[in-house]
Amino acid sequence: MIQLNPLTQKKLRRFRSIKRGYWSFLILLGLYLLSLGAELLINKRALIVSYNGELFFPTYGSQLSGRQFGLNYDYEVDYRSLKKKFQADNSENWVLMPLVPYDPYEMDYAEEDSTGFSPPSFSKGHFCGTDKTERDVLARLLYGFRIAMTFAIGYLVLTYVIAILAGSFMGYLGGKYDLVGLRLVEIWANVPFLYMVIILVSVMPGWWGVGWQISSLLIIMVLFSWTGMTYYVRASVYKEKSRDYVSAARVIGANPFRIVFRHLLPNVISTLVTFAPFTIAAAISSITALDFLGYGLPPPTPSWGELLKQGVSNLRIAPWIVISAVSALVLTLTLVTFVGEAVREAFDPKKFSTYE
Amino acid sequence: MRKYLIGFFVLVNVYWFQGCDNPQLKPPRTDGSGQENSSQDGSRKIDREFARELAREFGREFAREFALQMKGYSDPSNLKFVKDINDTKTMEGLMDGGGKVHPLLSHCSEDVLEFYEKHPDCFSISSIDNLPQNLNWQDGSEEHEFASPKAKKGGTWEVFMRDFPRTLRTIGPDANGAFRSYLLDYNVVGLTHPHPNSDGYYPGLAKSWAVGEDGRTVYFELDPNARYSDGVKVKVSDFFFFFYFMRSKHIQAPWYNDFYGKDKFQKVTLYDEKTLSITFYKAKPDVVERVSIRAKPEHFYEELDGEFLSKYQWNPEPTTGAYVALPENVDKGKSVMLVRQKDWWADKKRFFRYRYNPDNIKVSVIRDYNKAFEVFLKGGIDMFGLAKTEFWYDKLPDNHKLVQNAYLSKVTFFNQTPPPSYALRINSQKPPFDNLNIRIGFHYAMNFDLVLEKIFRGDFVRMNTVADGYGGRSHPTLKAREFSIEKAMECFAKAGFRERGGDGILINSNGQRLSVELLTGYRHFEDVLVVLKEQAKKAGLELKLKILEPTAAWKAANEKNHQVIFSAFNSFVELFPRFWEPYHSDNAYQEFGDSKFKEDGSLKPNLTTKVSTNNFTQTAVREIDHLINKYRNEEDLGKITEMAHQLSQMIHDHAVWVPAWKKPWLRIGHWNWIKFPEDWGPKETRDYEEFQVFWIDLEDKKKILEAMDENRAISDSPSVLVYDKYKTE
Repeated sequence: MIQLNPLTQKKLRRFRSIKRGYWSFLILLGLYLLSLGAELLINKRALIVSYNGELFFPTYGSQLSGRQFGLNYDYEVDYRSLKKKFQADNSENWVLMPLVPYDPYEMDYAEEDSTGFSPPSFSKGHFCGTDKTERDVLARLLYGFRIAMTFAIGYLVLTYVIAILAGSFMGYLGGKYDLVGLRLVEIWANVPFLYMVIILVSVMPGWWGVGWQISSLLIIMVLFSWTGMTYYVRASVYKEKSRDYVSAARVIGANPFRIVFRHLLPNVISTLVTFAPFTIAAAISSITALDFLGYGLPPPTPSWGELLKQGVSNLRIAPWIVISAVSALVLTLTLVTFVGEAVREAFDPKKFSTYE
Repeated sequence: MRKYLIGFFVLVNVYWFQGCDNPQLKPPRTDGSGQENSSQDGSRKIDREFARELAREFGREFAREFALQMKGYSDPSNLKFVKDINDTKTMEGLMDGGGKVHPLLSHCSEDVLEFYEKHPDCFSISSIDNLPQNLNWQDGSEEHEFASPKAKKGGTWEVFMRDFPRTLRTIGPDANGAFRSYLLDYNVVGLTHPHPNSDGYYPGLAKSWAVGEDGRTVYFELDPNARYSDGVKVKVSDFFFFFYFMRSKHIQAPWYNDFYGKDKFQKVTLYDEKTLSITFYKAKPDVVERVSIRAKPEHFYEELDGEFLSKYQWNPEPTTGAYVALPENVDKGKSVMLVRQKDWWADKKRFFRYRYNPDNIKVSVIRDYNKAFEVFLKGGIDMFGLAKTEFWYDKLPDNHKLVQNAYLSKVTFFNQTPPPSYALRINSQKPPFDNLNIRIGFHYAMNFDLVLEKIFRGDFVRMNTVADGYGGRSHPTLKAREFSIEKAMECFAKAGFRERGGDGILINSNGQRLSVELLTGYRHFEDVLVVLKEQAKKAGLELKLKILEPTAAWKAANEKNHQVIFSAFNSFVELFPRFWEPYHSDNAYQEFGDSKFKEDGSLKPNLTTKVSTNNFTQTAVREIDHLINKYRNEEDLGKITEMAHQLSQMIHDHAVWVPAWKKPWLRIGHWNWIKFPEDWGPKETRDYEEFQVFWIDLEDKKKILEAMDENRAISDSPSVLVYDKYKTE
């Protein structure tokens, strides 16, 4: 068990006491955990199939072909029609489908008149309607949320790692290192982010898998946006390194790495933590914006930006798309902001200042 | 002494032109101080005109000198600028015996003359006596007019463009924008025009024409009335000048340099002031169309130099067409107004008289397509293309108020033209597509049936061959491969992909997945590709979609870096399709001809890929090559037809091109004050603006606007019209 610094414990208690932020945090966490298990909630694959006395759990793992259930095709079995078939046959076999029986890639062209943009329907299980190619909007929202959040967390971790390394390097060593390092950072920060992303995304080889493409998009975004945080780290390290405990550590012969990571960092981190929720919000907004412009996640990956774009260009005929996407975006960003405000308040050094 | 004098004149000439066409004085500025600028421009314009007048005067002096030299006239004051050349009948070549310039070219600048002289095999002047006697002259009188005699003149036709034109030139960098069509394609009159309802031609600048015995020389007799918008008569020498212009490096248009190059347009001969002939490199059945060029106003350009681009950036050339763009009608960044000439030369001519009806065409910039549509619904634009399914069905449904009240009409017009070639082009050079079975399997795995049914709601039809829409030249029975999971899997199994992996994608014995990249530059067809991707999974094939900016996708395909690209080429209305560009091995590899094949016809290893050609499929098959070579040299239409069918079949068997769809119609919405002829438009209409046969009924416009104010319907039935006279399937 990690032993938390009493001061940190105090800060966390304070955070918990700020109800709005704390609850937002819990909701956000809950939603994210929910989205991690999205396959169990929204999926075209059944949760459980009982066929000839044998139980199948197809949610995770390899796909099951139609032949395994006595159908005459090799591709993945269509569980919804399998369910209907079992019901019609009145057999012992049964299928348990998730709450929303669609996945975010699947086009529900089952109905004769389904040619895109079906309005929300509880009977069909399309709670938020469908998009242009009859894909379930709710499914795309939730899976899109998972990708956006994971992306944002990855973005947060990576930018912080780079910013902390670069910032503490400049701040701790100071002098020429600082002078040159800071100039390089300034130059780097002036590279236009959006254009670079557009250029780099267009030269990305297509034979990379979707996972690789998303990761490389993440890396590209991190590469061009870690600079902002560096300044704060550098300034905090500068401030902290003149304190006595650093001199004390140096006197007893601690090496610079130990001083930076064991002694300085815990004191610097509180500044950074207050920025974290806003960084998350920024990451979600930028990935959505990039998707909206068409330079983000490779199609047909579920994404909020893509939904927004569809929604905006079909505002009159399919308002449910834009309503769902905008509500989801606003809700998420609001929650993140509430968390951010609470964290900022909880970590505000003024509250614990001893110089009163 | 005389030599010096001539030299002086030339010098003065050049001096004046450089002075008056100083590029700094030319382009209208885009900054805010419009008022001041325009007055300045005005005075400069006068200067320029004065200068030009003077220069022309010197030119006349010059010509007079020459003529005097040649004929020894006693009274030089009687001499006209372009002298009637009855006396020069027997002259051959560009020069007469005494080394003087032929009167037909007496007005040409030295640079231009030098160009002609350098290519004596290309440009020649002959005597009218040398004109073949047994020519079968045509004048299009047997063809029917395709415009309506009911047409009324007047009104302003409001249209939109997505972007403001970057120049009013029709050639050179940046000239290739959408606006050029209004200046050039829809407007300018050529020597003859292919009749859009038949295989014949109708007269333009030429009032009659005849194909020579060799089948590749076409003789034209110019219409004596043909004039440019500045009132200057169209001269035969303008067709000499056309080639000087098109082959000039100053226009910075390599494509045109090449297209109008010497290897295709081998010879132009002038016979007298109204007769000329143009010789094409080959006797093609459609040679008249191929050589029916437009006139270039030599009096306007005189000659070209390095400042061509800047000189003519905002200074459009005089046109033979009905509408003129004048610099004063350009509202920079906002709109361009084209004005109909009051006394257009072709106003009363058959085939032109009921066309080009509106007095003005106002082309305004609306950058966003959806916004343009909203403007259209408000009446700010008169017509709007509704080809996109969502516009036709969802955004302007039949029960829309404007349609119900018959203020607006929704029109479906079935046309017959070669469709843009929407297709998946498979790069047969890249594994796994070097295997024929994989390619055929890929064909069967593409569910275009579902795309057509669901995304295009059954309005589009499947394209079947590589050359659909060419009448008899299209293969009559060949069908595109249908979607069939069984057949696809059978083919993939033959190529070694037998097992399905955990994700349902086929793998071969080496553990390789059957996964390919599908590249496109068409973001608006993402939905189509998503459907194809999801359906292909059923056959065990994974498609990785890569949607890029159009230029980036184009570049990748030009470098042959794609596995499969979804793209389309625009097709022209032509008599027979082209095969050499997209399917000849010379456009796939740099090694020439048969040198790239082994004895048995297979490709040698380590060939060098040829980039920047239209052979996106990297097709290199010896038999196809040989047939294409024969096809290109063939002059008989019957044999051409037969070979076109064979080639379509061979390419189908080679399975590198998955045909997508074609739309057999045009769909537009228009306000009901726009009127159309009975059949709506000619058969070969590709674009509602193309033949300009519509007119604006100003009285109806008033009535409709009044009715709208009172919220009263014009008619009881909704205005949804179908013109299926030219429907084929």
